[in-house]
Amino acid sequence: MAFNRNKMTQPQERKTRFFDSESLSPNTFAYILMIPAAIVMFGVVVYPFFYNVVLSFSNMSLRHFRDWHLIGFRQYIEVFRGQVFYTVFLKTLVWTFVNIFFHVTIGVSLALVLNRKLFGKAALRTLLILPWAIPQVIVALTWRSMFNYEYGAINLFIARYLQMAPVEWLGKPLEAFSACIITNIWLGFPFMMTIALGGLQSIPQELYEAADIDGASAWQKFWSVTYPLLKPVMIPAITLGIIWTFNNVNIIWLVSNGGEPSDQTHILVSYVYKAAFNLYRYGYAAALSMVIFAILLIFSLVFLKRTKASEAAY
Amino acid sequence: MRYLLSLLLLSFFISSCAKSTLEDPHQIVIWHQMRPDERTVLKEVLDKYMAANPGIKVTALYKETEELRSGFQIAAIGGAGPDIVYGPSDQVGPFQVMEIILPLDTLFSKEYLSRFNPKALVYSHGRLYQIADKIGNHLMLIYNKALLPNPPKTMDQLIAIGEKFTHAPSNYGLVWNYTEPYFFIPFLTGYGGWVMDSLGNPTLDTPAMVAALKFMMELRDKYKIIPKSCDYETADALFKEGKAPMIINGPWSFGDYKKAGINFGVTRIPFIKETGLWPAPMVSPVGFSINASVPQWKIPEIVKLIKYLLSPEVQLEYTRHFDTIPTLESLYSDPVVRNNPIVKESENQMEVGRPMPIIPELRAVWDAMRPSYQAVLGGTESPEQAARQMQKSAVEKIKEMNE
Amino acid sequence: MSHKAKTQNLKLRILNLVLYFLLIGFTLAVLYPIVNVFSISLRPGNRLLSTSLRIIPDGATFHAYKELFTQTQFLLWFWNSSIIAATVTVTGVALASTAGYAFSRFNFYGKKSAMVGLLVTQMFPPTMLLLPMYIMLLKLHLINSYLGIIVIYTSTALPFCVWQMKGYYDTIPFSLEESARIDGSTRWGAFTKIVLPLAAPALVITALFSFMTAWAEYVVAAQVLQDTSLFTLPLGLKQFEASMSTQWGLYAAGSLIISIPAVALFLFLSRWLISGLTLGSVKG
Repeated sequence: MAFNRNKMTQPQERKTRFFDSESLSPNTFAYILMIPAAIVMFGVVVYPFFYNVVLSFSNMSLRHFRDWHLIGFRQYIEVFRGQVFYTVFLKTLVWTFVNIFFHVTIGVSLALVLNRKLFGKAALRTLLILPWAIPQVIVALTWRSMFNYEYGAINLFIARYLQMAPVEWLGKPLEAFSACIITNIWLGFPFMMTIALGGLQSIPQELYEAADIDGASAWQKFWSVTYPLLKPVMIPAITLGIIWTFNNVNIIWLVSNGGEPSDQTHILVSYVYKAAFNLYRYGYAAALSMVIFAILLIFSLVFLKRTKASEAAY
Repeated sequence: MRYLLSLLLLSFFISSCAKSTLEDPHQIVIWHQMRPDERTVLKEVLDKYMAANPGIKVTALYKETEELRSGFQIAAIGGAGPDIVYGPSDQVGPFQVMEIILPLDTLFSKEYLSRFNPKALVYSHGRLYQIADKIGNHLMLIYNKALLPNPPKTMDQLIAIGEKFTHAPSNYGLVWNYTEPYFFIPFLTGYGGWVMDSLGNPTLDTPAMVAALKFMMELRDKYKIIPKSCDYETADALFKEGKAPMIINGPWSFGDYKKAGINFGVTRIPFIKETGLWPAPMVSPVGFSINASVPQWKIPEIVKLIKYLLSPEVQLEYTRHFDTIPTLESLYSDPVVRNNPIVKESENQMEVGRPMPIIPELRAVWDAMRPSYQAVLGGTESPEQAARQMQKSAVEKIKEMNE
Repeated sequence: MSHKAKTQNLKLRILNLVLYFLLIGFTLAVLYPIVNVFSISLRPGNRLLSTSLRIIPDGATFHAYKELFTQTQFLLWFWNSSIIAATVTVTGVALASTAGYAFSRFNFYGKKSAMVGLLVTQMFPPTMLLLPMYIMLLKLHLINSYLGIIVIYTSTALPFCVWQMKGYYDTIPFSLEESARIDGSTRWGAFTKIVLPLAAPALVITALFSFMTAWAEYVVAAQVLQDTSLFTLPLGLKQFEASMSTQWGLYAAGSLIISIPAVALFLFLSRWLISGLTLGSVKG
């Protein structure tokens, strides 16, 4: 894909070869553009989803693995009855929002800095993408070893340069949870940085120049020019980032070694995983999944409405 | 658009014909949990088999424990999956309850089965579901001969030796993955406890549990001969770096220690004088089961392959490379087995071991033990509280599991 | 130059310098874990952990790298992953750029629900989707086939890509297409000739994201691909793992090599991600 500036600004007379987009109503044209994506999504998602809906009303479990039947809302009642659900839900919220907050702030700040004229910024940009590019398992385990009480780099750093007592990262609930969060922040910011870098390109330089003429400070420029124009590009990434982080089972599993210590570092999805595949409670796990799904659906609808993401910026 | 179309065509082209391999008469698939070094032996053995049986392709796929379990369940619901599953006996329990593996007693003759060490035949509800090619797979005391020529026989000796070697934080007398309850079992049994009774009810809230937990804490906080926190990788690194003369580990680690150039010996985990008991690690066979979804006509081929994999030549091959304990009784007098000091000591430890229960409830017991056990290590629960909590949680989890 | 401009210039320079040092410090901190992975790959005797902090370990060796290429099927896995990731990337870009345009520019019946619908697909815990997805592929005879996995990867990447494209198109003013249309361009022409080139940064993100989705995915691949000759890189890498006896050297070396194509792709595409070709130049 090579883009040529001259060609681009000159409208072309030629009709397209594949279909005559002129004879169609605008809506039909829109449908045609969308259909390929819609077919793929529909095919892959709908069947699995309804399969889970059915499972969530069933008693499928170790003792009823092949001969399961529907039992109504029992599994849902089970989900809400336990104290565990509420504490784990709270942890999931903390996990999600702390992560996303740092992903976005670090990502956007880096993008802003890297968008300036800096010596060697291409190299820095590429190096900063590495946490996204490297397979998660090995780095998660590397982080785990960095959190090691006696030999880990982090405690040695704390002891040597900050003159503080070493932290028992993996042995205490709060510390272990923080360790998971730190690892995930490290893994997640390059993605947001890339999105923000792309988004910054859509902001016309003239707007900054105009702001300069008005004597705006850097801070004012950020809020009056950068922020509103970066928003439409960042909102989808943030919305999905929240959903993915909410449902991210890998990092917790690897860094805290499956919820250690004492199952205190679980978030909702790691609970689902445990219920289904360790304790064979498929019905229960499906019901809990439906609850997670409902939580995220409600959240997204509210969030999108607030941010007006489905409407155009201009 | 046009390139999109050609692309779709291309993807059709590169996708191979895709039916479940169970229906393929020329292919037998094994899912196994062998270590990388064992896999090279498995590959050699299978290559030999395929050369002798043209027209049969045996595919061996490694699946990690957790993944083998979940992947096999998923595949079984769809009536697909591998023909043969190979792994430790504890997966037999749940698979049998879910009816996703076949009973084997009708497929192998009585005479054939009588050649095996009874420990190698895994029964559940009166039917045979797994035949093992290795037994043991248990924890023992492994020591670095260069640092420690004479290993301890009793816990008191172990503590004395440990104190001599410990210079925290760089050197420790003893290391092991003590965050994992599986590695705690020898201590529990050393104080006379066990995880469940013969009916499968958990037996965690016992004086033995409390005493064993207290002893663990003493090793760390009173005698200070073990690191302040120690998972598998930490223990492994300290032992390999020569910074700890003793480690509690299983036969899976032998190959790795040899490769790291450590001259090691193995022995029983030391005797506890207080109770007059040897610590008993969990002992389990590792072997083959057959997927319940395999078509009837394919079974003879599968049985033939399993018999080959259980044959004396193949079993000895593993013993020769990995010091494992074979399962055919005729092999115990073979020089390869008899003259191997590691196998001998490993058998010696196995003698005092207890078979790992195979019923699915064991998983609930592990899940119940882990949090409280770790809470004791973290100092947030007392041993007494932990024992009570474990028992309560195990009972609950078993109830949930069996609903 | 006025006095005021001069001090401002100086202030700007100092600010740049401070930022620069912060940036370099941050980058080094970010790289530390990766340097650690490198260190594991050089470590003899197969240790994930070491009690020393040295980056180049005692007895460092490139043995793992050599073994990776000579003793394992690394190159085959690499090839398989490349085919899958390339197909997913191209399909993802094609489908997302068109669908995103429809969402951005047209007001059709069901638009909002379709957009939310895309998001909805991401909300269900993926671990629970594995089972029905497997059964579906089994029924369609798509187990052990690249087609099945390509469709799944594409559908995983699409929702984000479509939203992302839509968000970017939203920042491109309508007036550009309108003037093109007045000059006689077709709708399709206005889209491909005017809007797409301007959306290059978003296309880059879409491509990168689709690529990464397919390149490093493990869970679905493990369930769908059951033949070693079809294995992708993450599946191959997993072969070095084993409960309590992982080959850490190989694992680390493999992980580092896997990340190279992803970084190379980023490097290659960043030309268009950070092109001087901002909208400003044509907006006028």
